Amino acid sequence: MDSPLLRRCARAVTTTHKHIRRRAAPQQCRFYADQSDFRAAAPIRFDQPRAELLDNDERSRGRKNEKPEIDLYSLRIVPASPSYFTATPQYTDDLLHLSTLVRRHKLLPHLPQGEAPRIAWKTIDQYKTEKAEPVKMKGYNALLKLLKELNYIHPSLMPEEVKAALETFKRDVQPYLNVPKPITVDAYGVSIAVGRRKSSSAKVYLVEGTGEALINGRPLTDYFGRLHDRESAVWALKCTQRLDKYNVWALAKGGGTTGQAEAITLACAKALLAHEPDLKPALRRAGCVTRNPKRVERKKPGKLKARKMPAWVKR
Amino acid sequence: MSMSICLRCLKRALILPELSSSRAAFSTSASLHANPTKKKAVVPKTLAKAGRTLRLAKNKRVVTARPPAAGERKALRKKVVLSNTNALEVPGLAELSTEIVRDGAQLKALEGKVVGFGAETAEALRCLEGFKPGQGWHLFRRPAALLRKDGVEMGEAIQRAREEKTVERRVVFGDKGSGKSVLLLQSMAMPYLQGWVVIHFPEARDITNAQTPYEPVQTADGKTAYVQPRYIASILSNIAAANRALLNDLRITQQHNLPIPLQSNISLTRLVELGANDAQLAWPIWQAFLSEITAPSQPEKQGGLRPPVFVGMDGVDHIMRMSAYLDTDMKPIHAHDLAIAQSFTAMLSGKTHLANGGMIMAATSGSTRPSVPTLDHFLARAYALGHAEPLKAMRDALLEQTKVTVYDGDLAPLEQLNTSAMHPEVAAQVLELKYGIHHLQENDASLEKLQGFLQRFKVRLPKAAVWDAYLPKDENVVAVMESGVRVTKVAGLSKDEARSVMEYYARSGMLRGSPVTEGLVGEKWTLAGGGIIGELEKGTVAIPSRQLCATKGRPRLASAPAGILDFPFDSAQIRDNITALFMASIMTVVLCLV
Repeated sequence: MDSPLLRRCARAVTTTHKHIRRRAAPQQCRFYADQSDFRAAAPIRFDQPRAELLDNDERSRGRKNEKPEIDLYSLRIVPASPSYFTATPQYTDDLLHLSTLVRRHKLLPHLPQGEAPRIAWKTIDQYKTEKAEPVKMKGYNALLKLLKELNYIHPSLMPEEVKAALETFKRDVQPYLNVPKPITVDAYGVSIAVGRRKSSSAKVYLVEGTGEALINGRPLTDYFGRLHDRESAVWALKCTQRLDKYNVWALAKGGGTTGQAEAITLACAKALLAHEPDLKPALRRAGCVTRNPKRVERKKPGKLKARKMPAWVKR
Repeated sequence: MSMSICLRCLKRALILPELSSSRAAFSTSASLHANPTKKKAVVPKTLAKAGRTLRLAKNKRVVTARPPAAGERKALRKKVVLSNTNALEVPGLAELSTEIVRDGAQLKALEGKVVGFGAETAEALRCLEGFKPGQGWHLFRRPAALLRKDGVEMGEAIQRAREEKTVERRVVFGDKGSGKSVLLLQSMAMPYLQGWVVIHFPEARDITNAQTPYEPVQTADGKTAYVQPRYIASILSNIAAANRALLNDLRITQQHNLPIPLQSNISLTRLVELGANDAQLAWPIWQAFLSEITAPSQPEKQGGLRPPVFVGMDGVDHIMRMSAYLDTDMKPIHAHDLAIAQSFTAMLSGKTHLANGGMIMAATSGSTRPSVPTLDHFLARAYALGHAEPLKAMRDALLEQTKVTVYDGDLAPLEQLNTSAMHPEVAAQVLELKYGIHHLQENDASLEKLQGFLQRFKVRLPKAAVWDAYLPKDENVVAVMESGVRVTKVAGLSKDEARSVMEYYARSGMLRGSPVTEGLVGEKWTLAGGGIIGELEKGTVAIPSRQLCATKGRPRLASAPAGILDFPFDSAQIRDNITALFMASIMTVVLCLV
């Protein structure tokens, strides 16, 4: 027993540094294993940083305040959430959080099917970039499903935590907030609407009247020589048999005759919908409601026009 | 009785002889002799290098059809068809007659209704070329036109001119298709029925478009005028044909210096025919004729009675500018230097006085409008003043009336003004005055405020009616327009008039498929740009006559409106054909039996 190694061990046990309190771990002193030596590890103190990072006087201050010192040597870092052990911890946490919210607020009144506010959620790529985790599409879709379910909660009764949770998943720019201004009938009974076709645009002022129509201050026959164009311009009124019920004042510019006539069609239809919204299905069937997106195709290099190729030469 | 002929032979006998030539002949010599084939001269083709010659022959059009005769195409273009046998006869269609025209009340009762022209009247108007080819006369059974407020007004003016022996001078203008020419036609029919001498220049464009020969003459005041003999001759022939019955009873009463000797008691018809037949005599005879009919009436002399005169011109804006002719210095000639145009403008401006009264009426053209800024200015000015003056008068009346309280003024005439018929700028001023007074009345303003507002309110003419001082004014036109001619604008129809016309179309069978409801009338009225009658006709019964002319072979119809029958032949023709066939077959059977 009087070996130098043993002696050195015993000395090590007895001598202690000033600022480190070393406690004999049971594993180190196997020879001195004792029932009373089995003690739980001390709780990790997080209110103080590691000793090496403290200044000398702070260390001393800490000592003066007599705060229990952290045994950083035996510090144990435990993950904040068990998701740490998954491949996508933040995603897993989000999923669990949302599931909890769904379960918690399941009994709140929901909006009818199809009437929830339209939200542009983050795309999977945006989410992945943000979280820097390899989230799979299937997993993200599960997340989206929960978000959509939470979105159906009635907005007047939506809890703050749900609102906060949903905000983090919304895209920065919400395109669905960009709604067109509703066209109304003003105090004088006039509704104003704009229509476009090719490169023409027209602004129509529609008011109840006896069936007069003026385009840029000129009568309909004076402005449109062709009967087809005249009919096109007031098609919205003609197909609903309201030509003698409204007066039209139109300002058209750009493009050519037929383009302006078609622009007036669209504008007239929109203005008429302000007066009588129930006419929408009829006008849609008549083809007045959709803006014709066709435009003149640009000329491409190597061709004479948009599509026309130069004459083929054998060599 | 049993037949002595078998059924097969009877069938063969019933086939008309000309159709049986489809049987094969025994020999071909007979048919060959009948139609010998002409041998073409064989021209040896020179050997040409392949692919290097210019082959103009490949584009040569082989003309197989007969080329049209001289004047045939023009006749076809100017053809006016006044009747359509396929259209229905409209029962109860009123006709313009002498009694109706004489009686102002009866004429007024016909306002807003479609009135037909009698056969004689239609013939006379056709001789005068009053019916134009582009109008829709060929669609209906009889020529008929809507009698509008303007037409009734013309009738009243004609009565006034007859009674007071004054001269009514009118210029009529309006949009294309608004009914100016037809108004002129009705205004010609009414004096014709009353026994006036009717003179008409159907297209003033023909005077100035340099399509007829012209020659210079020296006038009495030393200036050069240009005479168009052939044109004047054609006008004289129209006058002779239309006014034959009337002019037969009138004889010349003055001495005329003509290149040919004249009998002293020659009838005016004969005089006019002399000019019509010889172009060289046309201008002197025209002058003689004009002096005869504008001379005072001498009832004691035989044939010395002189009725009033109606002179009409369609397309007067063509003679209010430079013509297409050139003088000896290669400078353009003003239309007023053309002798015939000078005659007319002298009558229109009142320089040539009609001793027995009459009416001079000029209509502008809508579709062939040349640029005539001076005339346009005067027309716009007259039109604007026609509305602005009453407005000013109303403003003055209100100033007079509002002496005690703000509510004194009579706003009824102001409310009754029809702003849709006015120029937009004038209409805006009417509304400004009306709503200004309403606003002051509603806010219980003081009398001084109202008076101040009324005094400050100035009636402004629209920009088109104010002449730009930096633009050159045509002095000839100024002289005519400032001589006191009355200017009338022919506007669109009202909805009631439109309904009346569409009912006439429906009763003629030309507007089929849908009944004439208020909705349909309103729709067509709006699509016609506020009731422009030409556009209304196009939108309801359509087919312009030019598109019905045979271009190559069968007539091609550009549009297919609801009204016209598709069957190309006349039912009467078919009925006649079937009858003929039946009679021929009966005769053949009878002959066989005998």
